[in-house]
Amino acid sequence: MKNDKNLDELFRDKLLNYEQEPPAYILDNVLAGVAGARRNRKIVFWRIAGVAAALLLAFIAGWQINTRNGQNVKPAVILSQQKAPEISTGVKPEIAANESENQSGNMPSEIVNKPGMENLQLAEVAKGNQVSKNSTKLLTENSKSEQIAFVVESLRIAKNEESALLKPVKSLFRLINSGSQNVATNLHEINKSTQQAVRTDKTIDQQIMEQNRQVMLAENQTKEKSRWLVGAQVSPEYNVSRSSHSQVYASNMLSASSNPVDLGGGISVEYKKGKRWSLQSGVYYSGMGQSSGNSSYSNRNITSSADFASNLGKEYFNAPVNIDSNNSKMMMNSTAGVIEFKGIPSGIVLGTNLEDKTLVSNAVVVSDARFIQNFEYIEIPLYLRYTLIDSKFDVEMLGGFSSNLLVGNQTFMESSAGKNRIGSTKDMESMSYSGTLGIGLKYGLSKSIYLNVEPRVKYYLNSLNSNSAVTYKPYTIGVFTGLSYEF
Amino acid sequence: MLYHHFAPKMFGVCLRYAKDATEAEDNLQDGFIKVFANLKNFRHDGSLEGWIRRIMINVSLEKLRKQHLLYPVEDVAIYDSVNFSDDVIAKIAADDLMKIIQQLPPRYRMVFNLYVIEGFSHQEIAKEMSITQGTSKSNLARARDILKKKIQENFSELVGQNNYTA
Repeated sequence: MKNDKNLDELFRDKLLNYEQEPPAYILDNVLAGVAGARRNRKIVFWRIAGVAAALLLAFIAGWQINTRNGQNVKPAVILSQQKAPEISTGVKPEIAANESENQSGNMPSEIVNKPGMENLQLAEVAKGNQVSKNSTKLLTENSKSEQIAFVVESLRIAKNEESALLKPVKSLFRLINSGSQNVATNLHEINKSTQQAVRTDKTIDQQIMEQNRQVMLAENQTKEKSRWLVGAQVSPEYNVSRSSHSQVYASNMLSASSNPVDLGGGISVEYKKGKRWSLQSGVYYSGMGQSSGNSSYSNRNITSSADFASNLGKEYFNAPVNIDSNNSKMMMNSTAGVIEFKGIPSGIVLGTNLEDKTLVSNAVVVSDARFIQNFEYIEIPLYLRYTLIDSKFDVEMLGGFSSNLLVGNQTFMESSAGKNRIGSTKDMESMSYSGTLGIGLKYGLSKSIYLNVEPRVKYYLNSLNSNSAVTYKPYTIGVFTGLSYEF
Repeated sequence: MLYHHFAPKMFGVCLRYAKDATEAEDNLQDGFIKVFANLKNFRHDGSLEGWIRRIMINVSLEKLRKQHLLYPVEDVAIYDSVNFSDDVIAKIAADDLMKIIQQLPPRYRMVFNLYVIEGFSHQEIAKEMSITQGTSKSNLARARDILKKKIQENFSELVGQNNYTA
């Protein structure tokens, strides 16, 4: 042991302050490397802008395509099982009008095809020019090939509209993959050139090595080992109702008066590859609801019993409903869809056999109650995240899509008598899809634990209700707050 | 200028951690690029030389990690412990000792440098190299044995003379 210590001391004495003059060209390479690093910092801004634009494009593309599909609303049929002979004849012209609108709604697919046809003609013209003008042969060939490529692309898009929805997502993944492939290729080239380099020659070889080193430096900024993050977040969620309805449905609809703030949250798993990009998934619970009441359905010439008429003049909520006499079920139109009552609830005044010819329904409810529709979703997201600022206080941008599974659908009536569950909303889709865009702020509490605050906007891509007369696509705005652990 | 002042000493550091002068030059270059890029982050609570030295060591560690040399390796030969007087090493030039260190397997060289020259503890080495303390101790013992063996092989006349005089 003592011998070992002596050996160590002798080595330390001789080598601790050992000095040797390095070759002169090292300084030149260092200065070139520092200049390269400064240049890289300048292009960081443009990289961030590019990524932000790509995420925004994906968001808008998904929205636009979805909006276009949403125009294909089928003819509105409201509660066709109800018997109201006089009323149904009055409704028919409106349905016919809707049908004609739907026909025009199919036009976009034809319009998409048209540019392709024009380009085919252009391609033919270009071909003709090629024969007559040999002097511009090369130019014409180029333009022809470009036009043909465009025609093929146009036809492909027209034939397969669904692929357009996935295109922004695919292009983002391609962006990441191509980046990693380039890194792999460059590393291979660097290794190859390093092996072949002859260090005694300090002219051309030194320049090549310097270029390789700059590439490696740029890669080192982005390439790091892959990491995982798991976390849990909660968020207050404010829902903004966004809906459209057929005219007939809307004329008998109860308007939403307020959107209560619900609570959401869940656990997330994030895979981080490199310094900037990461992919996130997880399981989230999301509550969503809306409240309706005190929206007067008035100015109708209803004549009925004196008892019912006396209530109509008051500031009471009154809405048309349909009552199925076979099973005593009552149905009421809301912005989110048709509310199906389990039975006729107590605490309401019901007017039936009314003589209002404009009324599609066969009854009117008068009540001071509020109807609260609650929907609960389990969300499985797939988000792409990009780190804009990487420091003690990280700033990230996130965008992506989620699958939402409906797990709760309840409707409550809240009146002076209390809050009771009275039924559910009909035709709610069991599975729906949403897009999310957000900004993530991450603060490192320790080396591996982070505090996250993420304002997010979620919008539903498809209508949450399958009723053809209802398009219900609410927004959800939330601020997700939680902790994440990196390993 | 900063470079001219510290380059010779830091090249000495890099030579100790590298297998040859070429690798040492690469590390010196990468290290100084990092020094200049992060100079504004230098806190004046320690010596500048110590900070630059630490960057050079980190560059060497990083390179070792990239080359996947931190994973356990099996020794192909078992070195018998050789004993000779301390005077032998005292007589060997620093340049020759450097060459012997450079001949060590990369991980042994790293552990030997960090422990013997830089004064790191086995706990610190284990953390830096993502190995256990036991592995660090074992690597150090192997490194010493190899160094002694190399000295015996390359400077037999000194060892022999020493043994003779002893």
